[in-house]
Amino acid sequence: MAGGLSLYAEGTSLLHRAHPLTKGVVTLSAVALAFIAPSIGWVAALGIILLVLVALAGVLRRLLAVALAILLPITLLLLAVQGFANPNNRTVVFALGPIVYYREGLAIAALAAVRIACLVGATFLFSFTTRPADLSEALMQRGLSPRMGYVLQSALQIIPQTLDMAGRIQDAQRARGLETEGSLPRRARAYLPLMLPLVLSSLVATQERAMALEVRGFGLRVKRISRYEFVDSAAQRILRWVMALAVPGAIAARIAGWR
Amino acid sequence: MGILNAFKVRMNTLAIVLIPVCIAIDWAGHAIASTLKLPLFLDSIGTVLGGLLAGPWVGGIAGLITNFISSGTVDPIAAPYSIISLAIGIAAGIAGYYGWHKTWQGRVALYVLIVLVASIGSTPLNINLYAGQSGVPTGDAIYAALVKGGWPTWLAAYIDEASGDIPDKLITVVVAILIYFGLPNRYRALFSVWRRPSTEAEPAPAASV
Amino acid sequence: MSELALVFDGVSYAYEEAPREAVSDISLSISSGEWIGVTGPTNAGKSTLCLLAMGLAPHFFGGRLKGSVLAFGRDSRTVPVIERSSEVGLLFQNPFTQISGARERVDDEVAFGPECHGLSRPEVDMRVEEAMRQVGITHLASRHPLDLSGGQLQRLALAALLAMQPKLLLLDEPTSQLDPAGTAAIFEVLAGLHARGVTIVMVEHRLETLCELCPRIVAMVAGRVLADGPPDDVFNHAAVQDRVGLPVFTRLARDADLPGPWPVRLADSTAAFESPIA
Repeated sequence: MAGGLSLYAEGTSLLHRAHPLTKGVVTLSAVALAFIAPSIGWVAALGIILLVLVALAGVLRRLLAVALAILLPITLLLLAVQGFANPNNRTVVFALGPIVYYREGLAIAALAAVRIACLVGATFLFSFTTRPADLSEALMQRGLSPRMGYVLQSALQIIPQTLDMAGRIQDAQRARGLETEGSLPRRARAYLPLMLPLVLSSLVATQERAMALEVRGFGLRVKRISRYEFVDSAAQRILRWVMALAVPGAIAARIAGWR
Repeated sequence: MGILNAFKVRMNTLAIVLIPVCIAIDWAGHAIASTLKLPLFLDSIGTVLGGLLAGPWVGGIAGLITNFISSGTVDPIAAPYSIISLAIGIAAGIAGYYGWHKTWQGRVALYVLIVLVASIGSTPLNINLYAGQSGVPTGDAIYAALVKGGWPTWLAAYIDEASGDIPDKLITVVVAILIYFGLPNRYRALFSVWRRPSTEAEPAPAASV
Repeated sequence: MSELALVFDGVSYAYEEAPREAVSDISLSISSGEWIGVTGPTNAGKSTLCLLAMGLAPHFFGGRLKGSVLAFGRDSRTVPVIERSSEVGLLFQNPFTQISGARERVDDEVAFGPECHGLSRPEVDMRVEEAMRQVGITHLASRHPLDLSGGQLQRLALAALLAMQPKLLLLDEPTSQLDPAGTAAIFEVLAGLHARGVTIVMVEHRLETLCELCPRIVAMVAGRVLADGPPDDVFNHAAVQDRVGLPVFTRLARDADLPGPWPVRLADSTAAFESPIA
């Protein structure tokens, strides 16, 4: 069953129905604010707002599953390194044998981890509630060149196709005796025999595809007609402006001493 | 020929169609490395190859969109680094325009350029966003040791980042160049947006029938 | 007086860095509404002929063009391929590499071309529906293009071209990768288009098919036109028989020592074989 690369989960929530641009601006602003906000209290508050939105979108369980898988390793790494080695370290919290952990480093790690959690949460919230086709359509309505819109849409289909082909090439090469397990040098030697045929077969069709596109008028400089309209509203427009302006506002606040 | 000439050409349809293929090669390069459990990212082979074949626009946009798509689907933490992927593609494109990949000194220069772009570009991001760490355990262990040993954090962060980039970009550039020269001649000529003026003799007419 | 759809005037063309020309000194005049079959051995220049008519040669391939190719009165040198696409269409051999790769539904795929031309939404929708109906894929409208078979994909590619309502349709061995059912479906569509006045230039290896469908055949060998005329004339031409081949009926008639001119179609050969017996 063919399909593009997407996390999109069907739904009818407010977030699903919002204009892709609104969601995009909100996501980017939220991420920026998470990294600009000076202390963990503020960032955690932002994180809780995001969680509420995730729940409203009906994707809480799914999102938590993918998000935690990503967040756990990086959080542990941050805590392990900063708690141990941060130059601000002064107050001992606990020790694992010779390795001593300090509060200052752990706090810095915790702040970084919560910021990353907001980044991951906001990004996945966007991906779970927005069809990729809608995103590229919205961007093209706002001025993205149709040729670039094509690049985006085509990439989303060609990536899974190419990964499938990589799997088939791997099976074929293994059947011919290629070793893909064992020592590092042996596995490394398998890399090129798997990559080169893949690249060649990926490139083979490009000339024909380019000709076929030209025969259909691809690249004509005409005023683009929208494929479909999105529901937009004054409320969404205001929200976009507020969120966009919040970012330079927060930066100004930081400069003015917000901590 | 100024460096800006590398950017001047409007991408033709072939160049546009090449970009998604390069993006797919970026993804496949990383997927195969994961399957083989190699300790490297190898997610920029398509970006570098695209730059060598068709210039900075193709390489840069491929890198940017690869990162953009992977941030949205599997790895949001990499999102801020899209600009680094863009820069790597542009660097490979400029090097390709000047033909660096065709000489041994040029190949070394290409590798060094890409390592520098990746490491120098990523370090400020690591410092401001991720407490100086690169997120790679071995690199971060080096960071911890250096900072504990009194090294300045910016330098420790750079070495942390570079310790990952040096091997990763080496294999990336080597594979990209091997693939470039492993392609049939006509593919390389096909994607080159910069046509050389024709200097061969008039072609012979087809034989009479 | 019918318009001239396609004129080749002393055309020679060589691909970039090729030592020989792919076609030499081609002069052809094709009127609006004709259905031309083009045939010949490999490297005869048949595909090049299509690429020249579309303008892909020289715009896409570079190379050296001498003489002029005029489609509906406009020289191909001065018209970019994408502009040409509103009146000329070209269907390639491979069904899988002609789809855009950027659409997830068959009907969206058909809409791609009209959208590139900036047509209004109602116009696009109308053309998509009509094109799908013409090739018989309306029932596949919501399917993903990659779920289709080769034959269905080729019909999709044809619909995608028809959505731009071309006056001249070029086909480069459109059925060589299809099974008999897929092949028959394509030719049925072409017959319908011909009846509605679309000019068709079709490269095809199956000589029997060509003789049944095309009132005029152009036989090419090694880059030059060997013969140009009705199938009965072309395939009774000795040089064509030597260098290009014979429809099976013609060969049977020759081997049976029937008096010339030999038949080229099934119906005619039935009659020819019956008369000595009767």
